[in-house]
Amino acid sequence: MIGAALYLSRRSLANATRRRLARLRQPKYLIGFAVGLLYYYWLIARPRARSGGAGLPGSGSESLAILLLATILAINWLFGSSRSPFAFTPAETHYLFTAPLTRRQVLDFKLLRSQLPLFLSSVISVLLFSGGHLSASRIVRVLGLWLVFSALQMHYGVAALVRQSLEEHGVTAVRRRLGVIAVLVVLAVVVASSLRRQLPGLQAAFVEGPGAGLDALGAVLHQGALGVVVWPLAALVRPLLAPDLAVFATRLPAAVLIVGLHYVWLVRSSLAFEEVAVESAERMARRIAAWRSGRRPPPPERRAQSARRPLGRLAAVGSPVRAIAWKNVQAEWRGSGVRLPVIIALGVVAVVWVASLGSAAGTGIQVLATLLLVFAGMAVVLGPYVLRNDLRADLLLWDLLKSYPLRGAEVVAGEALGPVTVLTVVAWACLLAAFGASLALHLPGFPVLDRVAALLAAGIAVPAFVVVVTLIQNAAALLFPAWVTLGPARAAGVEMIGQRMLTMAGSLLLMLIAFIPAVIVAAVVVAIAGVAGVDGVWRAVPGAIGLTVTLGFEAMLTVAWLGRLFERSDPAAELSG
Amino acid sequence: MIAVRGLTKLYGSLVAVEDLSFEVAPGEVLGLVGPNGAGKTTTLRSLVGIVQPTRGSISIGGRDLDRDPVGAKRQLAFMPDEPRLFDYLTVEEHLRFTGRLYDVRDAEARIPALLRELELAEKAGALPDELSRGMKQKLAIACGLLHEPKSLLFDEPLTGLDPAGMRRMKQTIVERARQGAAVILSSHLLHLVEEVCTRVLVIHRGRLVAIGTIAEIVGSRPDLQGRSLEEVFLALTGT
Repeated sequence: MIGAALYLSRRSLANATRRRLARLRQPKYLIGFAVGLLYYYWLIARPRARSGGAGLPGSGSESLAILLLATILAINWLFGSSRSPFAFTPAETHYLFTAPLTRRQVLDFKLLRSQLPLFLSSVISVLLFSGGHLSASRIVRVLGLWLVFSALQMHYGVAALVRQSLEEHGVTAVRRRLGVIAVLVVLAVVVASSLRRQLPGLQAAFVEGPGAGLDALGAVLHQGALGVVVWPLAALVRPLLAPDLAVFATRLPAAVLIVGLHYVWLVRSSLAFEEVAVESAERMARRIAAWRSGRRPPPPERRAQSARRPLGRLAAVGSPVRAIAWKNVQAEWRGSGVRLPVIIALGVVAVVWVASLGSAAGTGIQVLATLLLVFAGMAVVLGPYVLRNDLRADLLLWDLLKSYPLRGAEVVAGEALGPVTVLTVVAWACLLAAFGASLALHLPGFPVLDRVAALLAAGIAVPAFVVVVTLIQNAAALLFPAWVTLGPARAAGVEMIGQRMLTMAGSLLLMLIAFIPAVIVAAVVVAIAGVAGVDGVWRAVPGAIGLTVTLGFEAMLTVAWLGRLFERSDPAAELSG
Repeated sequence: MIAVRGLTKLYGSLVAVEDLSFEVAPGEVLGLVGPNGAGKTTTLRSLVGIVQPTRGSISIGGRDLDRDPVGAKRQLAFMPDEPRLFDYLTVEEHLRFTGRLYDVRDAEARIPALLRELELAEKAGALPDELSRGMKQKLAIACGLLHEPKSLLFDEPLTGLDPAGMRRMKQTIVERARQGAAVILSSHLLHLVEEVCTRVLVIHRGRLVAIGTIAEIVGSRPDLQGRSLEEVFLALTGT
């Protein structure tokens, strides 16, 4: 079994490398590879000043590592998908599940095969933070990180299996997550009650300094009930933080115990494993078959679920552009799953928290308003990268889109309008809520009327900003379909990192180019408003209008250009080339 | 009417289709057959406007696909072998959406009738995930038929269907041709071609090898007299 796994890993790696090298004959991949190499050189091997000491982590680092690990696990349980990280390829399914192997051997095979990428990830991660020097203490870090990654991957695998198993037994995704939330709440109560008792001491320690605070937190984390809850996490991160090999060896058994328990948990959960793996492999096989036949693969299939009521009914007659935008809004709405209720619940908790503050509510409102503004900004700047129900998703149905009796510009406009609508509404809602919250505050130097002006200016500029960022993302998908992630499959390799960097750099450059004329126009309009006697912050309103009109004009030109590009291009040929 | 003149598609140095010319009249069902890699899919994808031909012209209902793609596509429906559906639209919403794209003015009235005809009425509010393979296929057909296209293209239409589904699919193809649609059917299933198609176009390595009724094709090759369609096909393509 071990020999077969090693042989498969070795040959697969060699052949994949050969194929990637062959791909470098295409100039864009060669450029991407060169940029990727430079990137790695800059990150790892560039000459730089050596840090003074070894920087051996203390208990503060351990506390931080525990908190980080706990956060990662909580996020996975709350928002993770039901797709197992141990997804089998169609070939693995065909050969392993039909071979005279037990289910456990199949699982062992998959686990063994997953170790090489995990080990390489550990090496690269440690190299990134060590300036390319691989000393004995760095080897400890590599081994420690490898243990953490292995345990995390098995934990993810179990979590995915548990989710799928519960779904198959009729528990809806929301109920399932509510159960997990209940467990997390119990854990949170244990953590909170433990911390509350220790809070005065912790506060005093943090007043002394972050180092003392973290040390005190480390001590608290290992006491009483909290110590029991935290022990598995602490056991897992301690080898990673060991100063030398001797200490590493003493800490290793506990970490191995945690990894071993995860392995047992994974094996025990494997009743559903085979079914899940085969199903996943079949889905993958269909996608691969579609790619090989020159067509785009069908979108990843999800488990059957009832449709949420649509956000507005689509009239049978009307603009096709609005129909495409409507379709994408429904995809965001119906695809948001449990995230939306969780975000709403967090919002309610925040409001309840502010209301419970009593005399100190002013500070709470200030924090809340600031958070809302930050969220609005994130919706505008980062939202277009997160919401991908536009061409980035629908290029998987490229042939269907191209068969519609629509001009390319109509398709592009409709596709982009979906996420733009969602993000604009979210940003507007946050801005309005922040404004509403600010009404309860006395802000010297920023009277209510000025806040109204700021709200209007921001509200006017938001959609134009979102349109530009979204169009840039869609342009990248249309221009470089092989470089942009479409659907769940992500290409790997040094050259792909370089290509992604190029894409990101290109996006930033395009944003800059788009905003320069708009900002100039806005500045001119603000100046004219000033000359015309418009007061202070109110000048921002005509400025925002100038900015929006300019960006809107640019967006129209971009849509027309992308439309022509959509009509002419053939991504299947691009990808097969 | 579908008219193809000198259709050529090159992928770099690879010739996918070379100088292909043929016509499909209203009421005709043309079977497009050929071995793997012969150029069938490329031909179909060119006819739908998914792939831009390197050379040649395609006319759908008298409208040139290159000069008036929107007008040409309005008269066309393409049924790929794998139903292409949106994850987050229900059955009924797919039809409404398609109605908007094809500007079907009476879609509101047509949708319930089409849902009943294709036995999808009970699943009107279901997402694609909740549908069986056959139902997904039916939905794709419903979307294709909503605008009453004058030209229909089917790529391996029986893939994944059960016997009852296959029968319904064949009936749909024949019925649409009877109503005056020009139909092209690409398939490896020679018995389907023999049963449904009025003419056959044999393509091999991107080139037209033979076109006509089965009798005409066999008639042009005395050595193939009395042979089955499968033997004729193998002899024509040298496979």
